[in-house]
Amino acid sequence: MTYEPPITDYDYIVENCTCAFCGCNCDDLDYLVKDNHVVAVRHACRLGASKIMEDMDQRLIVPMIRDENGELMEVDWDTALDKAAEYIANSVRPVFYGWSETSTECMKEGVALGEYIGAVLDNQATICHGPSLQAVQNAGYPIQTLGEVQNRADVIAYSGSNAMNSHPRHMARYAVFCRGYFRQRGRFDRTVITMDPKFSDTAKCSDKWIGFEQNGDYGFYNAIRAVLRGKELYQDVISGIPKEDIYELAEEMKAAEFGVLFFGLGLTHTLSKQRNIDIAIKMVQDLNRFSKWGLTPMRGHFNVNGFNIFMAFECGFAFGVDYCRGYPRYMMGETNTIDLLVRKEPDCFMVIAADPGAHFPNGANQHLANIPVIQIDIHWGPSTELADVVLPGSFIGVECAGTSYRMDGVPIYMKKAIDKPETCRDDEWIVRELKERVMKLREEPNTAPKYVPNPNAL
Amino acid sequence: MEYILKNGIVYDPANEINGEKKDVMFKDGIIVDDVSSDAKVLDVTDKIVMPAGIDPHAHVAGPKLVVGRLYRPEDSRRGVTQKTKVLRSESGFSIPSCPATGYRYSRLGYGTVVEAAMPPLEAKHTHELKISKGYGIKIVNPCGSEAWGWGMNVHGVNDKAPYFDVTSKEVIQALAKANEYLNLPHSIHIHPNDLGHPGNVPTTIETMDAVKDIKKSSKATIRDQVMHLCHLQFHSYTGNSWRDAASGAEEIAKYINKNDHITCDVGQVTLDETTTMTADAPMEYDLFKLSGLKWTNKDIECETAAGIIPCIYSGKSPVNSLQWAIGLELFLHIDDPWKVCLTTDHPNAGPYTRYPRIISWLMSNQRRTEMIENREVHKWVEKRTTLPTIDREYDFYDIAVISRSAPARIYGFEDRGQLTPGYRADIAVYDINPNDIDPSRQYAEIEKGFNVADYTIKDGQILVKDKEIVKVKESQNIWVNVKGYEKQEQKVIDDIMPFFTQYYSVKWENYPVHDHYLSNPIRVDVEK
Amino acid sequence: MFSLKTITFDQIKTSSIALEFDELIPDEIYSWTEADFAKYEVPIGNSRFPITDFFDITVEGEAEGPSEVKMIINGDLNRVKYIGSKMSAGDIVCNSSVDLHVGAEMSGGSILVNGDAAAHAGREMSGGYLEITGNTKEFTGASYIGEWRGMTGGEIVVGGNAGKQCGECLTGGKIHVKGNCDILAGIHMTKGIIEIDGDVNRWPGGQMKNGTIVIHGFLGRLLEGFVLEGIVEDPEDSGVVFPGKYIKYTGDIGLNGKGNLYLDAEANKEKLSSYGELDDEYTSIREYRNL
Repeated sequence: MTYEPPITDYDYIVENCTCAFCGCNCDDLDYLVKDNHVVAVRHACRLGASKIMEDMDQRLIVPMIRDENGELMEVDWDTALDKAAEYIANSVRPVFYGWSETSTECMKEGVALGEYIGAVLDNQATICHGPSLQAVQNAGYPIQTLGEVQNRADVIAYSGSNAMNSHPRHMARYAVFCRGYFRQRGRFDRTVITMDPKFSDTAKCSDKWIGFEQNGDYGFYNAIRAVLRGKELYQDVISGIPKEDIYELAEEMKAAEFGVLFFGLGLTHTLSKQRNIDIAIKMVQDLNRFSKWGLTPMRGHFNVNGFNIFMAFECGFAFGVDYCRGYPRYMMGETNTIDLLVRKEPDCFMVIAADPGAHFPNGANQHLANIPVIQIDIHWGPSTELADVVLPGSFIGVECAGTSYRMDGVPIYMKKAIDKPETCRDDEWIVRELKERVMKLREEPNTAPKYVPNPNAL
Repeated sequence: MEYILKNGIVYDPANEINGEKKDVMFKDGIIVDDVSSDAKVLDVTDKIVMPAGIDPHAHVAGPKLVVGRLYRPEDSRRGVTQKTKVLRSESGFSIPSCPATGYRYSRLGYGTVVEAAMPPLEAKHTHELKISKGYGIKIVNPCGSEAWGWGMNVHGVNDKAPYFDVTSKEVIQALAKANEYLNLPHSIHIHPNDLGHPGNVPTTIETMDAVKDIKKSSKATIRDQVMHLCHLQFHSYTGNSWRDAASGAEEIAKYINKNDHITCDVGQVTLDETTTMTADAPMEYDLFKLSGLKWTNKDIECETAAGIIPCIYSGKSPVNSLQWAIGLELFLHIDDPWKVCLTTDHPNAGPYTRYPRIISWLMSNQRRTEMIENREVHKWVEKRTTLPTIDREYDFYDIAVISRSAPARIYGFEDRGQLTPGYRADIAVYDINPNDIDPSRQYAEIEKGFNVADYTIKDGQILVKDKEIVKVKESQNIWVNVKGYEKQEQKVIDDIMPFFTQYYSVKWENYPVHDHYLSNPIRVDVEK
Repeated sequence: MFSLKTITFDQIKTSSIALEFDELIPDEIYSWTEADFAKYEVPIGNSRFPITDFFDITVEGEAEGPSEVKMIINGDLNRVKYIGSKMSAGDIVCNSSVDLHVGAEMSGGSILVNGDAAAHAGREMSGGYLEITGNTKEFTGASYIGEWRGMTGGEIVVGGNAGKQCGECLTGGKIHVKGNCDILAGIHMTKGIIEIDGDVNRWPGGQMKNGTIVIHGFLGRLLEGFVLEGIVEDPEDSGVVFPGKYIKYTGDIGLNGKGNLYLDAEANKEKLSSYGELDDEYTSIREYRNL
């Protein structure tokens, strides 16, 4: 890293802005604005700061439609919206994917559109913390807000998460280094344990590293649970860990006054997927017999949790909600984006504030190349290359206000600091326009002629 | 638009109208004395007309509810219905989705519901003090949630919270005084310590006694009480453990009959599979250890905690049957129906969609006896409660009191809960002819009749017509704005600011609920 | 089984978007004639299309109730889901591999799949008989997500291999897998029997509370939550006897579980001695850390 002199040339400062990068949603950022452009960001980590400052890098400015030659051509908003609405209205199995980097207000319009046309609504949870949500649904959800961690926690465990790199301010602001009401000495009052096959940067600054073998998570946590119940371990080495280490770890966890387990994708996407989290939750529940423990998934995008909470609020299911029969359905393997794409079912795909082109497996992207794709985003990315209609949105938390939910479920109002480029529109406006246009093009499919109560609910 | 509800049989306890055949008129959303000849006539001959229901204590919009929905997809699946031209799709049984909650209340003839739990930090989520846009002060398991921060609990009102030199009795008294000092329309709303523990009767009575000498604010003219206890059923157990637990309802009811500073709602167990969620997190962990199903907990920094678990109340279980009987005992032992409200503490003791069934139990001694004799409930009901000996039956007037008029008075509502001219036209019509039915024998018809209202009218708009929802109205939020204390308020803010900045994980600027979140709010101003 | 009415579905064309057959179960269609089918539109995505676009349907005989119906479905059923879901009686024969949710929530009758089945086969069955001659994918005989009461009765027979988490939250009934089984068979199970003729790679019976898992083949890795009870002969559960010698474990201790796990004694000989070696890389980094 080279030395960068402090920025002194700015017009004004906007204080207490919320970072639109990871699930930490740090709401203490100060933006230094010059000529309607953020020239510097105070307090943010490098990830957040660069995202906010480089907002014009490869920016999508005007709506575009792919022509017969396969080239994206610039068009006006009406044409682009009409084309997109036509794709949606004519589709039989539309999928609306994304939502994690836009506001809850925009999701509200999205659900209205999805429910009207009978679409599948899904967000990035399907490729990141979906297994966590499934585990939560099977085992429960002992969670606490991050302030609770800051004020009380004396044992912090990271599992399958490299917070140092993925959520750079997590340790500083909420979990490890910060001073809290009962932890006035900050880092010195806390023990940090990292459980990860990799000797990650987080492990390097931890007090203890448990490097269990890859895919061994389930066996490892099961062994801890057995020890917590007072059982002698019969194998000498469990999931690559000597059994003495497991006894020691269990004792340390029992001795905590207030412990928190943060887990990331390292836990959700190894061999036994949601069952890793399932047993981690059960372990935390067991630990509550001895002391106070909680856990929190390290959510990636700043509003990925918001979509799950909002969908649960609207229809009772967190992600991968299929409205095609006129009522919500949720079934893993059936109503999730990747499964649908790999099965080559969808015939229209709207991606909003996400980049499937970069993140999805090859098989899924192959199908995306064959069907109409509508993209609502602010940056040019691999998905733009797949898109047939491109609708440039605006940057929540910088150019446009909106609500987001932090990884621990605390809602935060992200305020607007600068104006958006003249030709861009708010995400909320775009989706509402699409909804209104689709409503004109097609009568609502799959409505019941009369309300029929569900016999199970009587 | 003018309407006239013709020939209905009106029950309006606030105006002491008990089953009179009369017309109810309203114009532009307000009840009026007279309408012109152009008024649209809605024929409700021989049907029950009441003010729309008011639910004084339910969990329908709070942040923990959404966690409940998030983690119980199997419950959401139970109530899935297809959308229609008017309605959106519904889901959920004990924790219905947001639209389903509204629709089902409308079908029951309810017009107002009070969400009972909203931690200020997550108030934006509830989208409903000036800062957090709430209506009153609710106290849950005082000091217990603080202790839960360390995995402990407090027992009894004189226990101290760990690391804080304060007892729950002091907390209750201080907040009750503050409540009256601010002239808030509602009294403090308390969930006492020791919820659901056998032998908690003394704690409950001490809690009630703690505020006996606190004077009600002279400005709060509508309500009579200085303390409202919620889900009292869970606080009326005697004994030392569940082995020897029995009903303490009579003792509690006696205290309430003697003292006028207390009102309560019941939290009647409906014997369904439901989801319990309360800010009394330690209690939920105790329950989880019993059931071993799935346990959710949510601690909110410096403010509160919440626990959620799925719960199956079954008539076969002695404990659940005991709870069922205690709830009914409270209803029947408390002489003045104005002091008690109909709730299930939705969804803790059962979903609110079961209110009609509770009404049928209250109105029919025959049904209660049948349930006991047919072993629909466990024999503990006979052995450990006084329920079999009570033959009191509620009439329609009493039902109107406990489900509408009493909650309106307790909350100090000045605009709803009565059919008085000038009030909001929130009206419910049920397809029951009170002169032609014997509720004691025809309890099934009573339940059916109250299950779906013939008409539900909210602010003069007909939402339910002929038992079908015909219109969906955007909800409104009621919040209290206290005026005349701007200086003191600023001082409080200045005092807590260093604490806030250091120990909260959000900035002060991002803490209040912005006006952006309030869709057509109703602001209740309170002057000094 | 003896049936009076036979309804045969012969495929004309396939669909890329799955057809949903949840309304075409014997309970609904036992009185239907060919004319009724001609009027029927099958749900596909957010729309409905005439079933006759996709299938030629012939009806033979009369039925007075669902139990007298036999449905025969021929063709490529890889995009036909919910076959026989929620049925209570009758027979269904599928002469091809089928899509998701075959026999989900069925309470009676029988389904025979001559081919493979996709995920969620026999999910939350409460009765009846489901036989799949080929392989199945994840969640065979499992519960709906979040639900702790899974399959409560009936029997599932899988001729080939079963995918991950077979018999998740099993609360009754029997699952018989004739081939191999992937990880976490019988996870969270509270009752019922899972019998696996082939090998299992890892962790059967995770967090089980009760019930029986019998593995006739080799087990790769066992969870620490299981306690060795010794060698038993001819164990039985609910009247079903498994002849032979087995190593018996009980677990999962993490839940104070009393589930039984029987491993074939011959195939799993070395389980009786301790095993496992420390990874060199781990040791070296641990040493580095201690420096």
